Amino acid sequence: MKLSMERSALLRAMSRAQSVVERRNTIPILGNVLIEAEGDKVSFRATDLDIEVIDRAPAMVNKAGATTVSAHTLHEIVRKLPDGAMVELSDDGLSGRLEVRAGRSHFSLATLPREDFPIMASSEYSCNFGCPAPVLRRLFDKAKFAISTEETRYYLNGVYMHAATAASGPVLRCVATDGHRLAQIDAELPEDARELPGVIVPRKTVGELRKLLDDDEMTIAVSVSETKVRFATPDVTLTSKVIDGTFPDYARVIPSGNTKRLEVDAADFAQAVDRVATVSSERSRAVKMALDEDRLVLSVNSPDSGAADEELAVAYADEPLEIGFNAKYLLEIAGQVDRENAVFLFDSPAQPTLMREGNDETAVYVVMPMRV
Amino acid sequence: MNAESPKIEPALPVIRQLDAAAQNRIAAGEVVERPASAIKELVENSLDAGATRIEIAYADGGKRLIRVSDDGHGIPADALPLALSRHATSKLDGTDFSNILTFGFRGEALPSLGAVGRLTLTSRARGAAEAASLTVRGEATGSVRPAALARGTVVELEGLFSATPARLKFLRSDRAEAQAINDTVRRLAMAAPETAILLQDVSDPAAPRQILRLDAEPGDLFEGLGRRLGAIIGAEFPENALAIDSTREGLRLTGYAALPTYSRGAAVAQYLFVNGRPVRDRLLLGALRAAYMDVLSRDRHPVAALFLDVPPDLVDVNVHPAKAEVRFRDPGLVRGLVVGALKQALAGAGHRGATTTGIGMLGAFRPETDQPSAPYRPAWSGAQAPARPAPGTAALFTRALWSGRVEELPAEPEDAPDPETRPEPLDLPLGVARAQIHENYVVAQTGDGMVIVDQHAAHERLVYERLKAQRAASGVPGQMLLIPEVVELDEAATARLLDAAEDLAALGLALEPFGGNAVCLRETPAILGEVDGRALLADIADALAEGTAAGGLEARIDAILSRMACHGSVRSGRRMSAQEMNALLREMEATPLSGQCNHGRPTYVELKLHDIERLFGRR
Repeated sequence: MKLSMERSALLRAMSRAQSVVERRNTIPILGNVLIEAEGDKVSFRATDLDIEVIDRAPAMVNKAGATTVSAHTLHEIVRKLPDGAMVELSDDGLSGRLEVRAGRSHFSLATLPREDFPIMASSEYSCNFGCPAPVLRRLFDKAKFAISTEETRYYLNGVYMHAATAASGPVLRCVATDGHRLAQIDAELPEDARELPGVIVPRKTVGELRKLLDDDEMTIAVSVSETKVRFATPDVTLTSKVIDGTFPDYARVIPSGNTKRLEVDAADFAQAVDRVATVSSERSRAVKMALDEDRLVLSVNSPDSGAADEELAVAYADEPLEIGFNAKYLLEIAGQVDRENAVFLFDSPAQPTLMREGNDETAVYVVMPMRV
Repeated sequence: MNAESPKIEPALPVIRQLDAAAQNRIAAGEVVERPASAIKELVENSLDAGATRIEIAYADGGKRLIRVSDDGHGIPADALPLALSRHATSKLDGTDFSNILTFGFRGEALPSLGAVGRLTLTSRARGAAEAASLTVRGEATGSVRPAALARGTVVELEGLFSATPARLKFLRSDRAEAQAINDTVRRLAMAAPETAILLQDVSDPAAPRQILRLDAEPGDLFEGLGRRLGAIIGAEFPENALAIDSTREGLRLTGYAALPTYSRGAAVAQYLFVNGRPVRDRLLLGALRAAYMDVLSRDRHPVAALFLDVPPDLVDVNVHPAKAEVRFRDPGLVRGLVVGALKQALAGAGHRGATTTGIGMLGAFRPETDQPSAPYRPAWSGAQAPARPAPGTAALFTRALWSGRVEELPAEPEDAPDPETRPEPLDLPLGVARAQIHENYVVAQTGDGMVIVDQHAAHERLVYERLKAQRAASGVPGQMLLIPEVVELDEAATARLLDAAEDLAALGLALEPFGGNAVCLRETPAILGEVDGRALLADIADALAEGTAAGGLEARIDAILSRMACHGSVRSGRRMSAQEMNALLREMEATPLSGQCNHGRPTYVELKLHDIERLFGRR
């Protein structure tokens, strides 16, 4: 194999590859990236056996071929090369070395046979649809903060993507929850996605997917089967197993009868929560919200280090209410609001609270209070 | 072939009444499972007889011979045959099993022993003109014959289990059986400090080997007991133990519990007694562990000898043939007493660390004798010290060692500028900070020596104690669950959890009944973050079954606090000013349990002046 290509294209491909590759591996080949050169393209393939990413880039291929080499080492080398450099990759197929040349630099890297590299079995995808990158970006970005990190409840360790029916009609919906709070984000259902089976997209895949979604003009080809999900652009294909589990019936925990309505500027609210929480050093900082007519007092009381309160002018017209929350949860849901005021709907200090942006029903957040 | 063979009906089994000998052998199997249990029965009899001196001898691990001699009140000659018949006892009148004050009461020991070996009972009752003797072997009881004995009773058991070869086969090696005997006698001896006990191995009659010799330890409860425990567990035990004496609702717990820094790697030195009777009771062992949970890491075990006095009507000792287990009328009360008394004593010990840590260090300090020419090498030099420093390097590396802020502190206390940072060392248990070395150890001078404090370990403990106090003051906030978790458990576990629901709610865990054998988890302690509710409840139910209060939930919360304490404390490698160091020492003196870090390691070691003088050969 012998090829040469632009440093920036190589760096982009290698960044993607090395983020899929786990830092520590018990199977050496999984630390490697598979480089395949053919025609005027070179592809870079990396996997952790659950996720596989393939990145294709244009290259001048002098001699077709394939080999595998440590993803992290090659990535580090390319990162440190000067911008605009041409990089030449070659191996003679005998010495077990990949020669990397750029300008006056020369590296000789150990390789492993390409035959050993595990290729993810292709799947029969039952549903294929196209979705604009900004739509997917919103769906996953706004949901992912609520993904559970508790590994025993593995079925919550991802975003549940499925077709659902909202009041406005059929929607493509992403839901995530960790049992304390929940995010439910809707988007218009693409025409071909009516038969979409519900899949739980793992946390790591959500992170990798995000890197494909920066281009506003791009349409992502989404393919879904019972066991796998694939997101593809013309250059990149991200394939992932989905979490084999049943996502809980989230619909019944979303309150519909909450009537006490608080409207507040999300940024002001978040800053005030952050400020008052400063006095508590505990991991679970409890913030108390005391609501009265058009008035919200946020307070934190830590018997050891002190107390803090801050008053906010808000729109609230119901009976007085006192309710406690984990400050981190409040900050995270308030952080999802970017255009309008945050609207909180309360019921009682022991019942789930709902938050949304203005009257936008396509993104709702539910958070459970804390008993303080 | 098979098809042609006639079907043979098995003979119908016949139910028969076993004869007395067989009955005795079966009973013996329950009471006497090995030589050590025979000795236990006999020594208990001696103690019940008011003996002040007991001699125990055994040969070949007790298989060939067991002999127990005492100077107790003896058995009248005419009562000897009766003593060897089943359920004959002087200790119980047969009407009141709820008021047992003696070790024995079932009247099973002697006949059982007679059933499994050749038993000779020689006794001279107090005031009797002469002694009498009787021999039993299996069902063959001999006749009472006159014998020579000054006072008391001698029981000789020869050829133990020779009548039951099956049992004999299952005995372990002589050595292991001897070890078991030794252990049994030690336990019994602890409960009777005023009785002298001699244990001998007479496998070779010409040269008896003395295994254990314990003199009678008169004196009040603690004095005598302390000396007896020192003789059995180790001379350093009483110095490193806290005297326990606590009473609650008629129950009294006495004894000694060792400092956490004097712990063992296995639960071998835990001696528990109920009404003077050695027991291995799960409830009590669990309570002992729970009391130390906070100050010992999981793989260390406390050392303790505890005596629980329970009014006889509140405890049932008749649940185990060997009486190793007992049943309490009110287990919660017993547990509360043990845990409470120990925790209180440990907290009272404050910063006290075991003297043995200092002594261990002293050993490490000693210059190696095989390198007489090598310069003196302090133990703390660790890896930095070259194995064999060249003569010229010694000064250099000494300076490197003391690279702390020694220069900040004047060497002579006389010219101390600020009286506030220079209190009189004599007044303060941990003395006055003189230097910090390696940016990790504070060296302080005390009235009669010096202490070296591990600043990180010490501060971590202080922060932990502060966080715990905070938690106790403010309660634990609970995070309600969006999706209440229904956890299925077995019925007993469910009942236990629901019984404890109130305690758990105070710790931020809210439960509700959910049908027969399930509970609904609505709220978890917020400090635990995201937890696996199912696993948490299963663990708590198990802990409740073992009798741990609030199912160890508190311990879990404290474990998080302990981790936070680790992050929030002064790290190794931080330079501290004299004021900071002194403040640390003062806070350690004021904080309970500051003598060991959260993992049970000592936070400081103390070297007495005379230890230092010994190092230099001045003493």
